[in-house]
Amino acid sequence: MALLDDYVPVVLFIIVALSFPLVTFFATRLFRPTHPTPLKDLTYECGELPEGEAAIQFHFQYYMFALIFVVFDVAAVFLVLWAFMIYGTASDLGPAASAADRLARFGPVLAPMLLGFIPILFVATQYALKKESVIHI
Amino acid sequence: MSGALVSPDLFTLCKVLITGIMKIQSDAILAGAPVGSPVEPLRGLAYFLMEDWFLTFNAWMIAITIMVTWAAAIQLLTMMWIERKFYSRLQDRYGIMISIWSLPFWPFSWWAKRRNKPTHRGLGYLQNVADGVKLLQKENITPANADSAMFHTAPVLIASSTVMIFAALPFSEGFVIANMPMSLLFILAAFSLAPLGILIAGWASNNKYTLIGGMRAAAQLMAYEIPLLLAVVALLMYAGSLNVIDIVHKQEALLVMLGPIPIPAWNVFSIPQFIGFAVFLVAIMAEMERIPFDIPEAEAELVEGWLTEYSGMRFGLLFGFKWLRALAGSALVVILYLGGWSGPVFVTLTPAVGATVIPIPIIPHEVWFLLKVYLLFLLFVWVSWSVPRVRIDQILNIGWKRLIPLSLLAILLAAYLAALGPALGGIR
Repeated sequence: MALLDDYVPVVLFIIVALSFPLVTFFATRLFRPTHPTPLKDLTYECGELPEGEAAIQFHFQYYMFALIFVVFDVAAVFLVLWAFMIYGTASDLGPAASAADRLARFGPVLAPMLLGFIPILFVATQYALKKESVIHI
Repeated sequence: MSGALVSPDLFTLCKVLITGIMKIQSDAILAGAPVGSPVEPLRGLAYFLMEDWFLTFNAWMIAITIMVTWAAAIQLLTMMWIERKFYSRLQDRYGIMISIWSLPFWPFSWWAKRRNKPTHRGLGYLQNVADGVKLLQKENITPANADSAMFHTAPVLIASSTVMIFAALPFSEGFVIANMPMSLLFILAAFSLAPLGILIAGWASNNKYTLIGGMRAAAQLMAYEIPLLLAVVALLMYAGSLNVIDIVHKQEALLVMLGPIPIPAWNVFSIPQFIGFAVFLVAIMAEMERIPFDIPEAEAELVEGWLTEYSGMRFGLLFGFKWLRALAGSALVVILYLGGWSGPVFVTLTPAVGATVIPIPIIPHEVWFLLKVYLLFLLFVWVSWSVPRVRIDQILNIGWKRLIPLSLLAILLAAYLAALGPALGGIR
């Protein structure tokens, strides 16, 4: 129940936060004029008549950045858990632990990440980005 | 060491307040309702007013209203005022100076006469309110070609996600709505909802400028989200908690005495966290879309970027809420790296009311916190108005090829120092 009690005010806050812009936008109806004309409703293109559609197919390169982002976003979750593990191990050992103790406890926690996961992630990302040297945005 | 103005917490204060009000109301109803059948429902109303869930709900609603008003009205106006005044000074001019005496009508004649008062030699604090009132009266134009549903949803998404940050963002231990175990994740999540809204806004307006602006915004905000998260990972090895209040408590410890001056153990004062701090500062600046990184709405090339087609109050809310995001971003940096609201309390007054002693700090926590936030924001403004805009490919290169390696370095160093122990400034 304690968990629920923590998050009930957040739900209330989210409802208030959602209603805040909605109420503002509806309230402006009381103050603003509404006189649409065909010329006013055109999309802005520096005073010229707009040409063609803007909702075009965008360059595929964009997908590459999104893909790397997703990889990193998932990796960040693992890294957060890993950070908690390091903190927990360090607080377990305390400041007075010997070097051999530290190696025995921290070795299995640090080695796979520092020697395996992070370097592979880093090198792979930089290689993937190297192919995107020309940017089409 | 302690001393917050809002103590023990906002909800408890509101609960006491609302219970008092409801008690008086229900007592008045009970006193006014004679014992007898015709007014029996009034007794029910009196008892209903004192029910616990009703009091709790009302207390939460009042606390939330206080928080939203405080953040979205007072602090937003202050941030905008600070920015306008400060960049005007950087440009060797005074900035906004309209005083309250220049109102077109004067309803406060009982308070002061305004004859012969200077109208243009004030502070200009209410200029932004005047701008808001002007935008309130402007017509709200929806382009004929726009995707109407998405065009109207995007501002709601952006504005509400920005307000949502303040559900978990504390101004002191007590001045916070929800003290969750994972409030830092909540803040970062609410912060990163806006790019979706910006992308929707840019696409739905069906305008070439907004499309390019929206795409650039999404690319930029995605690129800078990752260093932000990785810097937080490096921080967690020292802080060991995702609760922002715990993170601040960790930093209240003493690091070293520099002569008579105690140096607190702020996170900036250790090597890996300093790298993380630098990365976080740049990344949060990009998340705020401040000037070196404001390529999504580069005025010189994209009119107003993804905001081009919005008008009236919709534009006003989206434009003004950038400062709310700036406030949240600066507050986040202060909480994570600059010791939050901790600061010296020079004198604590302790007046005794009856048997209880109430400690009243001379400089409460909230004041320290806001002071730090404003100073950090001044730094942001200074950088913004001194540095030219960065090109889009350079922005992506800075994000992907500089900040991510730096934040990974911060993680490696933090892990290494944590494993070595306190001898080399590891876990404190």
